[in-house]
Amino acid sequence: MSTTPQPRPPELQAVHVDALLQDTTPWLSCDECFERMDAYAEAAVRDPGNRDEAMATHLRGCAACDEEAQSLIQLLRGGGA
Amino acid sequence: MTAESWDDRRSGTAVSVGDQDARNRPEPTNWVAALATDGPEQAAALRELHALMIRAAGHQVWRMRASLPDPSPAAVDVIVNQAADEAMTALLGKLHTFEGRSRFTTWAFKFAILQAATEVRRLQWQHREVELRDLDVPSAPAHDSPELCAEGTDLAGAVADAMRRVLTPYQRRIAIALLVDGVPIDVLAARLGTNRGALYKTLHDVRVRLRAELIASGYLSPPRAGPRDAVSSDHRSRVSPNPTAGTS
Repeated sequence: MSTTPQPRPPELQAVHVDALLQDTTPWLSCDECFERMDAYAEAAVRDPGNRDEAMATHLRGCAACDEEAQSLIQLLRGGGA
Repeated sequence: MTAESWDDRRSGTAVSVGDQDARNRPEPTNWVAALATDGPEQAAALRELHALMIRAAGHQVWRMRASLPDPSPAAVDVIVNQAADEAMTALLGKLHTFEGRSRFTTWAFKFAILQAATEVRRLQWQHREVELRDLDVPSAPAHDSPELCAEGTDLAGAVADAMRRVLTPYQRRIAIALLVDGVPIDVLAARLGTNRGALYKTLHDVRVRLRAELIASGYLSPPRAGPRDAVSSDHRSRVSPNPTAGTS
């Protein structure tokens, strides 16, 4: 008696593919991100259109640093602190 | 997140006289000098600094409270105070590195935010096993919610093939733990005896290798010359602006 093999679910879902292919160049380390985070947050509060490409790239690729940067910005804006 | 904030919650509870005094006292004009020089000014500055750390740690824990195993006010207070104490120690150890590129208070806040966020993630995973599995080993719980369905199995398959070809087993395991299984980067670093920076470097190398491979095989367009935004705009249209699978 034969059984029909069940199709395996895809190993990588779209959200995983997106995360794996995130372009994190130019390189910025988590330590450098932390060093720059205070000035970055103040600039973001002063001018929401402010661009820091290296920081923005790192924050797109590192959710832990991103959470902390967004939290600092929120704190400086007075939302929640 | 609700409109209620950490300070809202604190204002609904007994606020100590010390807290009220701390809010009413002027901040030191030169924090570094005040903190570095023995005397009554240093003691006052240390009290002010601790109040800042409590405020920022409280803000961070409040943001992440939904992921806490025990989000009760008493448990949150313990986490906040512990994170503030540890952040203060870390800050004082790096006081000589403050360069004045931001206000001192902003610089101080980030230490407390980092410490509090790391602690919440640790507590969130403290009773969970971290599996370092390779690509062909399915995870225990299935991640098959509709929003996670692959938009293109061709691309997903090409990425999986590239992972097998161009990544080392270690790189695959780190990438899968962080980006597929959603292990927070701090938690994985602690379990492996390494640090966030080292794991992020591994992840960066993984992404560079995968992107190069997929560009070579025609799945991604090669970067164009010009500003960074232009270089990555082709793939950026396909990726989430801030993938939650990153390292939450």
